[in-house]
Amino acid sequence: MTQSSALLQEATPPTPVETGVETAGPVRERVSGHARAAALAVDLAYALGGMALLIVLWWLGGRIAQSNPDLFAFTDFAPGPTFARLHEMIATGEAADMAIPSLYRVGLGLLWAVAVGVPTGILIGWFHQARKLTNIPFQFLRMISPLSWMPIAVMAFATWDGAIVFLIGIAAVWPVLFSTAAGLKRVDPAWFKVARNLGARPWHMLFTIILPAISQDILTGIRLALGVAWVVLVPAEYLGVTSGLGYAINDARDTLEYDRLAATVVVIGIIGFGLDFLCQQAIARLSWHRED
Amino acid sequence: MKGAHIKATGISHTYRRGATQALAGIDLEIQPGEAVALIGRSGCGKSTLLHILSGLSQPSQGKVYVDGALVDAPSPSRVMMFQTPSLYPWMSVEQNIAIGLKFNGRMREAKARIPELLALVELEAYAKRNVQDLSGGQQQRVALARSLALNPQVLLLDEPLSALDAFTRHALQRDIRRIAADRGITLVLVTHDINEAVMMADRAFVLKANPGRIHKELPIPIPGDRSPSTPAFAGIRNRLVAAYEEAAGLAMADADAFSSQNEPAAETDDIRIPADGTFN
Repeated sequence: MTQSSALLQEATPPTPVETGVETAGPVRERVSGHARAAALAVDLAYALGGMALLIVLWWLGGRIAQSNPDLFAFTDFAPGPTFARLHEMIATGEAADMAIPSLYRVGLGLLWAVAVGVPTGILIGWFHQARKLTNIPFQFLRMISPLSWMPIAVMAFATWDGAIVFLIGIAAVWPVLFSTAAGLKRVDPAWFKVARNLGARPWHMLFTIILPAISQDILTGIRLALGVAWVVLVPAEYLGVTSGLGYAINDARDTLEYDRLAATVVVIGIIGFGLDFLCQQAIARLSWHRED
Repeated sequence: MKGAHIKATGISHTYRRGATQALAGIDLEIQPGEAVALIGRSGCGKSTLLHILSGLSQPSQGKVYVDGALVDAPSPSRVMMFQTPSLYPWMSVEQNIAIGLKFNGRMREAKARIPELLALVELEAYAKRNVQDLSGGQQQRVALARSLALNPQVLLLDEPLSALDAFTRHALQRDIRRIAADRGITLVLVTHDINEAVMMADRAFVLKANPGRIHKELPIPIPGDRSPSTPAFAGIRNRLVAAYEEAAGLAMADADAFSSQNEPAAETDDIRIPADGTFN
């Protein structure tokens, strides 16, 4: 072995064995496993406690409505009738029938938001002239309530579905766009310099460097967009359509079926929470960022 | 593999639309396979000059020729290593090494080249690991392997070892010099570390600031393995220190005093080099 390779070998920074990761691995993993389980249990206890508190408050509201003759019409909003109706709606497939058209519209709206928001965000993040040019118009458009586009959407689109997808898309595009642009602005410029130096073409720069580098920002934007889209969905579905969760709410109100109305609200909450959870999981799984 | 001949003529460069002159009238010539160091204090334009030699920046005036061809854009035959490894953290070690091959449509070579490069930088066991799992020294080794994957004729080093601990830095200095010499690669090194220049280069250009220009050119004729504890090393180091101080604007008396204070020691074997091997 030459002197240089001996030095090299000695200088080779800590291997997993040297750093103790493997030597102390099982013990450390056991300890950190216990600590993680304990932390998870505490988190779960808080989450269940919070939900229990919410249900208690809801139940109290129901009791108050029940005991007050002026509010008697609202007693079906209480947890008991709501969960009974929810059970029935799930068993008969009514809940799924309501949710599927809404999920389709939200999915399509989000798809448009991503298709427009990601490329535009990349343009804005990459070219500072584009950023300067679009900053004020985009901030102006962003501040317009998506629902105020409703009359225009109704006139512009041939179908109610088209109008609803447009409203969802226009609400969801901004978080995707701004998150993408902000992510690109934060990318280490040295990555681009290295890529150029190694002969990257523009498409390499986009697909091999930019998109993976900002993937977490795009996913975070999609997560925020999903929240906005889900909020906009219900009022958007008040428009002419005869399907979806928004329509179901309106229909339950018109037919005075308050237990169905409350059960639909619960369905909206559960699906919204579930979609957000899936987004969080996707971000955690796909992220290359290390917490430490 | 033969290193490239580099010739730069009349290189001047300004920033901020001419308001700041970074370089003025630089002429230099580097022979194929030669290792050259550009040294000088911060802000003397040595990194700017390196970027111009690589083709990543274009000079405001003057021209750079590599093997007689005008440099007007970056090329995979002239690869630069930066101060930070700038690895892609969403990729594994082998994916990072292969990235240049991918950009140049040469992925068919990856199967043979990657194990060879991993062996060269002694990271065979880390091929599938995410680069974020590696230490700073290991990351620079990956960056070195990535730079060598395209069989470059010129390797341009922009202080790539400055953030490493002294021991790792010393090992990598020897290693890079050995690899470049074995493969005949022309090496251009930017550093403010005099020891590093003596350890790695055959010749040093000392740059003076405001605007950046060549103050002095010194040969580093040390045959064989280089060690800071040898008199030849110490003698050249002291001459470079004096030139560096002179270029940095210290009074000549200070530079002479520094030089003469150390010169006799260069004649003996017990010269003391700072433990971290740096001179700032």
